[in-house]
Amino acid sequence: MKILGRSKLITPVIIRTLKTHPVILALIALFAMFSVLYPERFLTPLNFSTILRQFVTLTLFALGPSIVVVTGMLDLSYVGIWMLGGILVWLLMPILGIFSILVIPLLGLATGLIIGVIQVKARIPSFILTLSLLVTYWGLTATLSGGYPRPVREYEFITAPLIRYLPTAFLWSIPIIIAAVFIMKRTRIGTYLYAIGSNEEGAQLAGINVDTYKIVAFTLSGLFTGIGSIILFQHLGGAAPVELNLNTVVWPLVAMVLGGTPLVGGSGGPQRTILGALTFAVVYRGLLLSLLHPEVIQLLVGLLLIVSIVVGARGLKGVTIT
Amino acid sequence: MAMPMDAPLLEVKGVSKTFDGVVRALDDVSIEARRNEIVGVVGENGAGKSTLMKILVGVYPPDKGELYYRGRKVPFPKNPKEAAKRGISIVYQEKGVIPWLKAYQFLLLGHEDKYVKFSRLQIDKMKKHARGILEELHVKCDVEDFMYEPPLSTQKMVEIARAILSVRLERGDANVTPIIILDEPTAPLTVEERRELFSDILDMKENASFIFVSHIIPEVMEFTDRVHVLRDGKLVAHYDLSKEKITEEDLFRAIVGRESTEYVYKPEVKRVVSEEVVLTVKNLTKNGCYYDASFDLHKGECIGIFGPAGSGKSEIIKTIAGLMSFEGGVLIVRGQKVKADELPHVRLGRGIGYFSGETGKELFLNWPIVKNISIVNIKKILTKLIPVISFNAEKKMAEKVVKKLRIRAPSVNTDCYSLSGGSKQKVSVGKWIERSPDILLLEDPTVGIDVGAREDMYEILLETKKSGISMILVSDDPKEYSILCNKIVSIKDGRIQEVLSPEKFGKVMAT
Repeated sequence: MKILGRSKLITPVIIRTLKTHPVILALIALFAMFSVLYPERFLTPLNFSTILRQFVTLTLFALGPSIVVVTGMLDLSYVGIWMLGGILVWLLMPILGIFSILVIPLLGLATGLIIGVIQVKARIPSFILTLSLLVTYWGLTATLSGGYPRPVREYEFITAPLIRYLPTAFLWSIPIIIAAVFIMKRTRIGTYLYAIGSNEEGAQLAGINVDTYKIVAFTLSGLFTGIGSIILFQHLGGAAPVELNLNTVVWPLVAMVLGGTPLVGGSGGPQRTILGALTFAVVYRGLLLSLLHPEVIQLLVGLLLIVSIVVGARGLKGVTIT
Repeated sequence: MAMPMDAPLLEVKGVSKTFDGVVRALDDVSIEARRNEIVGVVGENGAGKSTLMKILVGVYPPDKGELYYRGRKVPFPKNPKEAAKRGISIVYQEKGVIPWLKAYQFLLLGHEDKYVKFSRLQIDKMKKHARGILEELHVKCDVEDFMYEPPLSTQKMVEIARAILSVRLERGDANVTPIIILDEPTAPLTVEERRELFSDILDMKENASFIFVSHIIPEVMEFTDRVHVLRDGKLVAHYDLSKEKITEEDLFRAIVGRESTEYVYKPEVKRVVSEEVVLTVKNLTKNGCYYDASFDLHKGECIGIFGPAGSGKSEIIKTIAGLMSFEGGVLIVRGQKVKADELPHVRLGRGIGYFSGETGKELFLNWPIVKNISIVNIKKILTKLIPVISFNAEKKMAEKVVKKLRIRAPSVNTDCYSLSGGSKQKVSVGKWIERSPDILLLEDPTVGIDVGAREDMYEILLETKKSGISMILVSDDPKEYSILCNKIVSIKDGRIQEVLSPEKFGKVMAT
């Protein structure tokens, strides 16, 4: 009897969860499909480890920006913070030693704050503003580095393996994810950011200082990207990069949108981004195993972004904030 | 010509329209527009004015009815282009001009195909044509001006010129008399700009007939030749203002359609509630909107600011809410002088909440009820140890509000977009009652909801007042003032006329 009662409770919860996170279904389906298609190559610990590695990269880049997307704006500065931060670490190494890594979160915080202030003062589309900033940071990185990647060896401990097949970076990212989800779900700041994205005029009428909270959104985004980039710095090779790779910019976006955070704002958020990141990592891995030509994969990723943006935008009404 | 000379230019006979098979928007309505006249179509929100106009320009098909153009029966238009062929064009209230087009580009937008030669636009011919029409209609605007440059009233005139032009071009006849529908054209204009616009429209009567849709009574009285009154989808009155002697009150009663006894002051509303003043408005001025407004609001009192639409009442309440700044005078909230440009969140901190009956403005429609209620009450539901939202407390608070206001919903987790209009309104006002600010500003608190829900809202608001919350009311419905207010400030053209007791207000409205 007791078991029956519990299963009666669990089923609606599962249905509700699937309704609000349809991407879970896609994830399960893809997982099953690839497992059947390439049983020897897909269902291996090494493969899972690779998927988790990409998941970490996507998540740590997309976590901050998905806070901004909730308000209906966009923040593309994440790769810029990671690049410029990396080169600053290399530059400051002789002075600050091991502590120079802390310059990345500071840079993120400052960047977010600056973007936020410019955004609310100048009232320009955040997409263009943050894209310009990304290009500026790229240029700055290239100038400061002299055009060469600059490896820094002091931080190898960050990704030193602890458990076999489980990337250490993944373990590090867990508290960061929890913090982001917590802020968005359980605090006043989070609620206000959802309010701004859902109905900006309503938010103003409800006595929310819309401009201030927009700045808060960008600052949080920058801070999360900065903290994430401490791990990403080592996770992505332990060297300050100098070349901007478009994929690094686009893939986190795909993860965000695929997870079900519509770019118009008002719903979604970090908790969906991690689902999207996981789904994308599985898709990408599956595509790589399929031995398709890389250019074709590139094309498919582009199409995936378009489709998920359209679905995300149309599915806004009726999607509860989760 | 076959056309009899005395036939009206346009005649609509027996039009009915039902939406979704249930809501009867229009019921056997007939109106006509004669040559070179301004005919008013007036009624409350939801009376069917807009539906009728949309049928005339081909946005909706009617269920029933006939259309006569110059005495000859024609089918109803299926789109705005066909409407223009029947001589009808519309200037919408909200659409406006396209700011970054030059006047001639805007005037001829959509008609470029008539100016193509060797697959190239004949710019000079376009400019010449545009200049011709602007001069003919005495519009003070150059064809090279960008549309954001002229004042708003001139922009409206260009829109009207464009409507006239589109009829001429569609009919291929420069001497045709177009029928131009003006759908609440004065909504975004200040008092001075309205005068300007109307004198210009009067000048245009030689060139066109106008159907003037409005709910602003003084405007209709001053500028129209005849008036059709719609109420609840029916044509209830027709006045020929040149022949009959009609007062504003007559027209008003025809529009609202209530027995005058309903406006009589209800004795259960007490006059003076407390000596404590919570808000002082002194010589408050915003140029173009209102001038030298002064009144005191006491604790637990409700003041109504009554006047026709466009009188400045809405701007005053928005100023107090922090949605607009003021230019002169003083605003004192609970003994403290406030800055002119404070934003709503600062005013809320001072204890002023603003509630608008337009639920689309106020609600987060994709959110459940519980979140919509907690949004202004977050401080109450934070746990004590660290400032974290307690979902439990949030749910309890929402359930309390839902129960108190008798909101009909399956649960507090129901998303707001799926609620009925009345329930939405109750959720919006419920969050403010839970917050209980010192002063609650009400703008059209019952707009767009049915009679039963209205009565409920009045009960809720009276209860709120009894609990010591002061209120300021702005509404289009005089009945609301008699029910809710302790005193009524009447305002006209931006200036306060007199302060009335509810008894006196009831008598004024009843005569």
